[in-house]
Amino acid sequence: MQGVRKTFGPKVAVEGIDLSIPEGAIYGFIGPNGAGKTTTIRMIMSILFPDRGELSVLGKKSAVESKDRIGYLPEERGIYKKMKVGSFLMHMGRLKGLDRSGLKPRVMEWLDRVDLAEVYKKKCEELSKGMQQKVQFVASVLHDPDLIILDEPFSGLDPVNMRLLRSLIDEEHGRGKTVIFSTHVMHQAEQNCDHIVMIHQGKKVLDDTLDDIRKRFDPRALHVDPIGGIDQADAVRRVEGVAHVTPIEGVLEVVMREGIDPQLAMRSLLESMPMNRVEIKRPTLEDVFIEIVTGGKRGEDAEQLRAELLADNQDAEEVEA
Amino acid sequence: MKLSKVSRVAGREFASTAMTKGFIIGALVMPAAIGALMPLIILLTMKAQPPADTGTVYILDRSADVSPTIENRLSPENVEARWKERFGNVKEIAQNAIPLGEDQKKQIGDRIDKASDSIRYPELRVIPAGPDTDIEELKAEMQEQVAAYGKATGDLESILAIVDIDADASQKVNEEEGYGGFQVFLRPKLNEETIGEIKDSVRWSIRERRYVNAGINRDQVGEIHEISERASQEITEEGEKKASSAITTFIIPMASMILLLIASMTGGQYLLTTTVEEKSNRVVEVILSACSPMELMTGKILGQMFVGLSLLVVYSWLGIFALIFMERFDLIEWSTIVLIFVFFILAYFMFASLMAAIGSAVNEMREAQSLMTPVILLMMVPYFFFMPVIRAPNSMLSTVTSFIPPISPFIMIMRVASNDPPPVWQTGLVILVNAIAVVIFLWLAAKVFRVGLLMFGKPPNVRTLIKWIRMA
Repeated sequence: MQGVRKTFGPKVAVEGIDLSIPEGAIYGFIGPNGAGKTTTIRMIMSILFPDRGELSVLGKKSAVESKDRIGYLPEERGIYKKMKVGSFLMHMGRLKGLDRSGLKPRVMEWLDRVDLAEVYKKKCEELSKGMQQKVQFVASVLHDPDLIILDEPFSGLDPVNMRLLRSLIDEEHGRGKTVIFSTHVMHQAEQNCDHIVMIHQGKKVLDDTLDDIRKRFDPRALHVDPIGGIDQADAVRRVEGVAHVTPIEGVLEVVMREGIDPQLAMRSLLESMPMNRVEIKRPTLEDVFIEIVTGGKRGEDAEQLRAELLADNQDAEEVEA
Repeated sequence: MKLSKVSRVAGREFASTAMTKGFIIGALVMPAAIGALMPLIILLTMKAQPPADTGTVYILDRSADVSPTIENRLSPENVEARWKERFGNVKEIAQNAIPLGEDQKKQIGDRIDKASDSIRYPELRVIPAGPDTDIEELKAEMQEQVAAYGKATGDLESILAIVDIDADASQKVNEEEGYGGFQVFLRPKLNEETIGEIKDSVRWSIRERRYVNAGINRDQVGEIHEISERASQEITEEGEKKASSAITTFIIPMASMILLLIASMTGGQYLLTTTVEEKSNRVVEVILSACSPMELMTGKILGQMFVGLSLLVVYSWLGIFALIFMERFDLIEWSTIVLIFVFFILAYFMFASLMAAIGSAVNEMREAQSLMTPVILLMMVPYFFFMPVIRAPNSMLSTVTSFIPPISPFIMIMRVASNDPPPVWQTGLVILVNAIAVVIFLWLAAKVFRVGLLMFGKPPNVRTLIKWIRMA
């Protein structure tokens, strides 16, 4: 993708995204709701066409020419309600260019893999939401595509099925397939992806491997748990080198001033008062995201954003539960 | 555009619409079954006749002239003979109602014969009462019986009717006044057939006596009344032809137009439903990951075209059968039948384009209503033009309207099927005009379809649709 831009009327959905995804990689698109993830994916799929910029998929000018080699699970899950599960999957398979011969055993095998062997003859509308979603996942991988694009694949699944789907994705990735999936729940991306692309307000704000991201965003933050509890915040704030102190989930998150060695800071904290625990905070994608969006500033903006993200995650987790 | 994907979409579209129980029963089996069942229905109606009445009819014959004739006319043997004869006519109609093989004809004939064996006709005992009988006494007796038993008891004793015949019913008393008449007093709730039998017989008998008294031969009068007429012929350029009656002149063009309308409307309506369904189900994005919007739209339109075509084939064959049976196949020409199919394709593509555009633009069926109104109004137009076009198939109005798509195919088929068809060059030109219109309709629909499919949210109005056309 090069300089891709897409507008809907006055609204700019995607602005100048450059991106290249190597074959065989597993990429996570993250970003909050409405960031432009789905639009980007739809453009990769040639369902939407960019106003400006160029993109090529699997060596072809657009996905139109290679649709049969791509598997796509859209965010808006759709299914022919009145159709039988078997006929629906056969229809999708044949639309994707599979031959009639050998199609039925293949459908059966996939249904078996997602624990739905018994629904072959059932109508789609008789299935639960989660079951429908698994059927749709099967529809997207049935034709053994080289590139699998999954838009929010985990939403609406229970933990057991989430794990099942995750292992199926890993399996496809293990067979050398390229996988792209999007999610607004950051920790899901952390669990599956080896490469993260972050989109915010239609712009790509991050494009790196997970390891590199962790290294690069090595924060100046420590988690401090004084024996005196979080009431000791003021005392902690007076320790030399401390910039901010924020109580979070029963501990104090301490951000050091720039240029302070974390090892030294830990020592001076330990010396200042009795502690249960002092540790370097491992950056999560969430932290990275907030860092990027707020431009490294800590303050009310960041806190508000974090609260929003937390709420988002909790929503997602509630759904998962 | 890949043909394999188009045909795949078309196949699913056809199967999901036409291979359903609802469609097969509603659109195909029902009309065919009604046609095939006609003889059976006639049979059942005959079998379901009410139990025949039994009882006494008093004839108070003040003329002392008519009652023997009535007695004879209503004797059990004569009643039976007349009813059997009536059944024989029904048998003939039932056997010839639709074209049947000899075996089936025999079967139906046997069944009717069987039914006629078990037929029950009214059993009447006629008692002539002398001219000096008091009618009030008879009435009082009948009232007593009704009070005691209600409806006829079924034995010969019960009085069903009292017929009061005037003294001058069959013979004028003085020349200035006309003949007298009669009056019937009936027990309540008698069967229509029984009442008819009694009254007809009285009427027939009075007439019979009048002929005799006037010295006129009844058979001769009958012969004088009967004038045979051979079927009228029209002398045309090609020679003699059976003249078309007013009814057939109207029916053939009307039927052709309605057939066309039903077939293209049904296909179009289903197209709208399935498109809206795919959109509201959100299945459309999955499908779009496998084929392009153009492949999807083409496939859907073609799939529904076959739905409309199968309707057209079934209905037009029914019509052709009916004409063959009536031995009036000469009323319709093969070229007209071919043109019905040609015009169907043209009309269908135009309406299907509209439906595809509307279906892709809205989120659910309810929202389609407001956009459908102009289309429905458009479908009404051919009806408004029916009379003027049939009366003058080559008038200015008829000619001009037959060139305006999308109503053009409907007007033109009426003109072609009329008894004064337009010149061939006009038909050719109309087909050309419509073919061009089809391309334009499809082109515009494709633009709306492409944009509309993935637009969710506020249902668009016509202005938005035009914006989309400009945008795409």
